[in-house]
Amino acid sequence: MLEINRLSHGFSATPLWTIDHLHWSGRDMVHLLGDNGSGKTTLLRILAGLDAPRQGNVRWRLERQWQRPPCPARVIYLHQMPYMFDVSVFDNLRLAARWYGLGRRDSLMRVRSMLHWCGLEQQARQRARSLSGGERLRLALARAWLLQPRVLLLDEPTANLDAQAIADVDGLVADLVRAGCAVILSAHHASVLTERCQRRWQLCDGLLWESTTNAPFTAERLLR
Amino acid sequence: MPELLESTRAALILLISLDPDLWEIIGVSFRVSLTAMVLAIPPALLIALALARLAFPGRWLLISLANTMMAVPTVVVGLMLFMLLSRSGPLGEWRLLFTQPAMVIGQWFLAIPLLIAMLHAALQGIDQRAWETARLHGAGRVAALWRLLGEARFGVMAAIVASFGRIIAEVGSAVMVGGNIEHFTRNITTAIALETLKGEYAQGIALGLVLLVLALILNLMLGILRGRGQQTLSS
Repeated sequence: MLEINRLSHGFSATPLWTIDHLHWSGRDMVHLLGDNGSGKTTLLRILAGLDAPRQGNVRWRLERQWQRPPCPARVIYLHQMPYMFDVSVFDNLRLAARWYGLGRRDSLMRVRSMLHWCGLEQQARQRARSLSGGERLRLALARAWLLQPRVLLLDEPTANLDAQAIADVDGLVADLVRAGCAVILSAHHASVLTERCQRRWQLCDGLLWESTTNAPFTAERLLR
Repeated sequence: MPELLESTRAALILLISLDPDLWEIIGVSFRVSLTAMVLAIPPALLIALALARLAFPGRWLLISLANTMMAVPTVVVGLMLFMLLSRSGPLGEWRLLFTQPAMVIGQWFLAIPLLIAMLHAALQGIDQRAWETARLHGAGRVAALWRLLGEARFGVMAAIVASFGRIIAEVGSAVMVGGNIEHFTRNITTAIALETLKGEYAQGIALGLVLLVLALILNLMLGILRGRGQQTLSS
């Protein structure tokens, strides 16, 4: 599903990190770890096609053909603080439905089912920006899931959330994974959400190390 | 003092009695200024969007130019246009001098820099995540740009209101390229400036009142829009 070749990026002469080769089938949920400034967000943004890498390439295979990011509505990146459009909760969902090309009736049905799914039916007419951090993330997940993307890239989704909010988000992410959506999430701290991941990618010393989480964490350096 | 009171009373009567001459002058002002705004908003929006979203050589020069143009006196714009449109000028063939279209062109030049500067400020303040979120959720470039305008709507409306306020109250350009011709190019400001000199105090005061009320309405609108805009930015 994802293939990375000779990828490197950085903001100074020395690359922040280098990934020679990486293949990910998309079946395992990935937890991306790394210290502050190790380049987790940068990597996720490059995978989403929001930033161009300094060198190398990223390819996604979402249908039959390989394609370079961005893949709108297929690979969706959620910012650490997801952006809420300055309209109601309902209209945030409706905007995504309209961009997706759904007709009025389908769009209405889909928006309603998403509101129900993320538990924000009562807040449908409220301004999205008045929601709490946990509610915003639930709305952002619903807005993304409305498009039924193949991949979700979640940047520090649990930062600044309390245990209950994390549990709510975990329930939604579990639904997405069950429905076949591949997920990569970056997170500093362990939580129910990171425990759900079967694979770890760790950015350390400018390299990406990989391990599976059902075995003891013995880091294996990726090809270099 | 009694003369002033008498003139004010006469002015109110003119306004309330819907004096045709007076309301014709008000009509010319609104027609010219609204036309100039309609013609100025689309290019100003495009330029402001380009300045806010694209990095290209000369970008800061354009922004500085727009900011400098805001300070150009209206009478200087009128003078330049007069020289261009006069019979012996390079655009004399168009025969536009002392017509409403000439006034529209003058006000267009006055509105454009203010619109660009204010729209640029409003659009530049939009969070980069808005564009990224829209694009990743499947919005095409045009739809994403439209969304950005929606996000900056209070700033955009404030720019439009402020620019309209500037051009409907300007006198320099209107008098130079309009010529204050009765029933044709006489608008509120040229009538106040020139007719008062002929002793038409009542009409001048009545038109001044219209401008004052308009200024009050526009400023109230600006205040409301600024308040809403700040509310939007702070959330």
